[in-house]
Amino acid sequence: MNIQQHKVLIANRGEIAVRILRACRKLGLDFVCVYTAEDVCSGHVALARELGGESGLYRISSYHDANELLSVADDAGATAVHPGYGFFAEDFRFARRVEERGRKLVFIGPSWRVIRELGDKINTKRLARSLGVPTVPGSDRPIYDEMEAEKVARSLFDYQSQQGIARPVVLVKASAGGGGMGIEEVHDLDLFRQVYRRIRNYAMRQFKDDGVLIEQRIMDFNHLEVQILSDRRGRHPVHFGTRNCSIQSTGRQKRLEVAPGFDPSSVEYRFDAAALLDEIVQHSLKMARKVGYDSVGTWEWVVTRDGQPFLMEVNTRIQVENGVSAAISRVKGQPVDLIAEQIRTALGEPLGYSQSDITFRGVGVEYRLIAEDPDSGFAPWVGDIDRFDWTDAEWLSLHTHVPPVTADAPYTIPTEFDPNLALAIVWGKDLEEAGARGLDFLGHLRLEGHDGRGEPLRSNVEFLKNKTGQMLRF
Amino acid sequence: MSEFAKRLHQLSERLSYLRDIFPGKHEEELALLQTRLDEAQAAAENASGEESGAGLEALEDLFFFIECKLEDKLTPMDKVRIVRHPQRICLRDILENVYDNYTEIGGQDEHTIDPAMLIARAYITRKRGGQVYHQPVLVIGHEKGHGEEFRNGGSAKPWGNAKAKHYMGVAETEGIPIHAYVFTPGGYPLEEYPGAAQQIARNIYEMAGLTVPIIAVFSEGGSGGAEAVSLADRRLMLSHGYYSVISPEGAAAIEGRLRNGERASAELVERCAENLHLTAEDNLKFGYIDKIIQEPVLGARPYHYEFFRTLRQEVLRATDEVVLRARGFAPLRAAALHRLHDRELNLDEFYVRWDLSRAARQRLVEMRQNKFIKASHSVCKNNRSVAGRLGDAWSEQWWEIYNRLIYDFYHRNRRTIRNLFEELGSEWDMFKMRLLRTWKRQEAQELAAEEELTSLSEWSEDERGWAWVSEKAREDRAVTCPYAARRGCMDMWAFDLYNEFAGVCSSCGHHFPMEYQWVMNNCFDKDSLYEFNTEVESGNPLRFPGFDEKLAAARKKTGLKSACITFEARLEGIQVVVAILAGSFRGGSVGVAEGAKFVAAADRARRKRCPFIVYCHGTAGIRIQEGTHGVIQMPRCTVAVRRYIEAGGLYLVLYDTKSYGGPVASFLGCAFYQFAIRSSSIGFAGPGVIKNTTGIDVPPNHHNCYHALSRGHIQGVWDRRDVRANLCQAIETMGGRNLYYR
Repeated sequence: MNIQQHKVLIANRGEIAVRILRACRKLGLDFVCVYTAEDVCSGHVALARELGGESGLYRISSYHDANELLSVADDAGATAVHPGYGFFAEDFRFARRVEERGRKLVFIGPSWRVIRELGDKINTKRLARSLGVPTVPGSDRPIYDEMEAEKVARSLFDYQSQQGIARPVVLVKASAGGGGMGIEEVHDLDLFRQVYRRIRNYAMRQFKDDGVLIEQRIMDFNHLEVQILSDRRGRHPVHFGTRNCSIQSTGRQKRLEVAPGFDPSSVEYRFDAAALLDEIVQHSLKMARKVGYDSVGTWEWVVTRDGQPFLMEVNTRIQVENGVSAAISRVKGQPVDLIAEQIRTALGEPLGYSQSDITFRGVGVEYRLIAEDPDSGFAPWVGDIDRFDWTDAEWLSLHTHVPPVTADAPYTIPTEFDPNLALAIVWGKDLEEAGARGLDFLGHLRLEGHDGRGEPLRSNVEFLKNKTGQMLRF
Repeated sequence: MSEFAKRLHQLSERLSYLRDIFPGKHEEELALLQTRLDEAQAAAENASGEESGAGLEALEDLFFFIECKLEDKLTPMDKVRIVRHPQRICLRDILENVYDNYTEIGGQDEHTIDPAMLIARAYITRKRGGQVYHQPVLVIGHEKGHGEEFRNGGSAKPWGNAKAKHYMGVAETEGIPIHAYVFTPGGYPLEEYPGAAQQIARNIYEMAGLTVPIIAVFSEGGSGGAEAVSLADRRLMLSHGYYSVISPEGAAAIEGRLRNGERASAELVERCAENLHLTAEDNLKFGYIDKIIQEPVLGARPYHYEFFRTLRQEVLRATDEVVLRARGFAPLRAAALHRLHDRELNLDEFYVRWDLSRAARQRLVEMRQNKFIKASHSVCKNNRSVAGRLGDAWSEQWWEIYNRLIYDFYHRNRRTIRNLFEELGSEWDMFKMRLLRTWKRQEAQELAAEEELTSLSEWSEDERGWAWVSEKAREDRAVTCPYAARRGCMDMWAFDLYNEFAGVCSSCGHHFPMEYQWVMNNCFDKDSLYEFNTEVESGNPLRFPGFDEKLAAARKKTGLKSACITFEARLEGIQVVVAILAGSFRGGSVGVAEGAKFVAAADRARRKRCPFIVYCHGTAGIRIQEGTHGVIQMPRCTVAVRRYIEAGGLYLVLYDTKSYGGPVASFLGCAFYQFAIRSSSIGFAGPGVIKNTTGIDVPPNHHNCYHALSRGHIQGVWDRRDVRANLCQAIETMGGRNLYYR
């Protein structure tokens, strides 16, 4: 089947839906777009209407309802589903259902087996260790036995003091937990048993599983990512460089991403940054080859101040910040769109180039513009936007689902979803230029609005300006 | 009132009794009697004295003649109506007339926890020569009364049965025989504290090992309620009584597929009564009762004093026989029994001591257990070849000998030595630790910590998912959780739900019913299943019309020969015997074949000293089409279970989906370790039956497993995905001392 004959169901909303739409258009694919009642005014609906007309638009009750999405796909005659990020992007059950149901569809993303293998952090960790990829020191399976747990904790404390860490800390987590529930730090081995029992009992009550993970607590680190792409054969994955996503909100949500991961030419590090970046890229590619990774994905690493990398997890989806990697990459001298590459390869086309065809130049910075209040814990801000202007430049690309707004026709941020407004990707030939252009962009940005009580719009623009100077540093 | 008027009145009473028993039948005879009676009444007003007296005698003769004639034509349903008639003798009449004196214990009239269950301490006085002996007995029985409302028609509530069980214990302590009178249409099916099924099961379990003689007299034996007091050494039955798995109306409702309290036609009820074979003669033929006590024409009523004399003689004879059989000294016993067969002997002038030595008590229990184990053996359809049976018998003996040698002799002594070595070993460890403390500390520091932390815990490419997956998972459809409206569950894809989720709603944890194969194949070690007794097949012992076709259909649908599957399997290497009641074969109902397989499995587990696990995938109760053959499985299997438990094993019951009726009220409900898979229901009678029999609308969660848990019926509720882990934990931590791996 020629890929032009495919019809893609875009099972997502907002900015990513806009980008998938554009990518589909670029590849010459037909598409179906869905939206809910809250999103009637969203830019992705307007764009879909403009590009495909009313026939490719379906109103649904929830982006979370697989049955509804699939009945839309059947009704519209879609042959592939793009989940974007969030919602069903890393749900292997959805991927399996899409691929194995009566009327089969193509899931644009890794095969469900890969999602399942790598979706489980513990499993990922064990897989990584079996390949010699460094992971955070600690247990790689749930521990159910108190004696064993204490043994692991003791050796973790010993290990940290060997490394010269002044105040060693061990993390005790419920293995079935998540989202910060059931995690505690232990600073002293004598207190370990108490904490262990508390966590175990909590886990038993909450999750009906008293398995506990014990890990070293990594302090003072940078969060790096490796962007991987592979075609359906999964033999020869390529990478699109590294990213540094260390600037985050208090809730550990990324706010500012920079590619490449480190820049030894303008920042001084305690370790050989170039060698380290190469090491984590090679480790990531090795793992991707081992599992037969067959789509875009991201390997997430933490790197300590001393230059020790640890693999954290693998994100088996296209990520928000894919644009910043694309900005610094050239394939055979041409710019690249990772979403289009993902769709193209997922539908069965071979990659068509190898690692040696990919070149990197300059520094890319991505700003996430979000309606939130950085002064009160990044609380989401909800209201109407009546002005959203920026100055276009050839070094800037901005992705947004906010339609053009005026004071008479404001855009109301839906309360049901996260208050993400736009992604701005700035490119410069080195870190200094990228930072300067970023500040220039933020300085000329006009983002205004008010909520129902007349309070002015709050956004993280000032926060991003402040953080621009700290890029790629510890 | 004159003597004459009295007799006339009696005759009109007799006539109305006849009308009650034969509604719409034998109209001619009854009309004849009516006209004659009217004539006699008219004559009595006109004339008086001698001639009308003579006329009356002729009329009485006519009455007697017609009654005798109708007696010969009695159908089973007529007998049921006789038994239910308010004029039928009740337990109070028996206590007044059969025993010499009695004290009602456990309450008086309506001032008791359950007026339908009557307990009395009675005694019988016998004379031999000049000597007078007072022999005490405990009388337990259902009290129907003569139509009193509060007696509830003899339908004992759970706490009534609990009372009976308590006083059985008293009788055992005092060592006096028990006379149980069964006058019940069935147990009262409410699940309270305790539940009906739970209490009946406890009663049966208790009686299976009670060390005093028990004599049961049946008048009206309705299924579970009757079994609660009737596991006896001798079972006598009144000639007009019935003993059945279900009331004929109930059977008709099931046969006619009636719903919502529709009434079955009289004709259908009549036919069902016939097909159920519930009369005394039938039950004697099957061997489930030992003797019939002949009643007066058309049933005993309180003024039949002669009948009470017979009854007294019969219960005395039965008690004497049981006691003498259990006595050790054989020649004397034989002689005495021989004499007792002499009908002329007046047992009031004969004396047998009723207390038993310890050995005799054991023998008594053993004989009772054997009696029930052997019951219904002959009707069981077993296609196993003669050579196969011989082989089975041989291997059974071999296990017995082998296990005696290995576990009783070898292991017991080995354990002593091992214990000694363990003690010594830990002493030595302590000594070593103290001695080497300083050196150890150094060594620990030198240990390379990094090596251990980054080394791999055993990583296996294990196959994920379940070994057996339901057919339902192949459908491409979305399944809605029944609680979606209340708990907001998302629809699930059938493939996920029935495969990976094991039929459990991923958001609220509701368990969808799964096939029995799920537990059978996913909870035991791979390829360790060995099915035995495969040749036993469900049959139609009563030749119930239309049942053969139904059985054939069930066989074809499920590929099973009976609802019970028995196999040996391993759980983490430990050999267990498992019996499954498969709900898909005739609703998991229990008949002769299922009982036989169950008993054989319990026996096998006892001989091999394995844990015995019963997975009740679902049961609708006793198979009504097998009538009393089915009911007798209740005490029979319970006896087998009690034998197994007393031999020191682990008997564990796991309920799934819906479990109701006889099995739960006997051999399943008596287990010490009962668990239920979530979202299952456990009870005595389903909501429809409760509505029909008691008129109470029960709430939908009445039979819910959590309700059963709070009632104390079951010991825990398990998640289906944890069944294997929980079973492993159970066989390691629960059960008696005689399991082979202990």
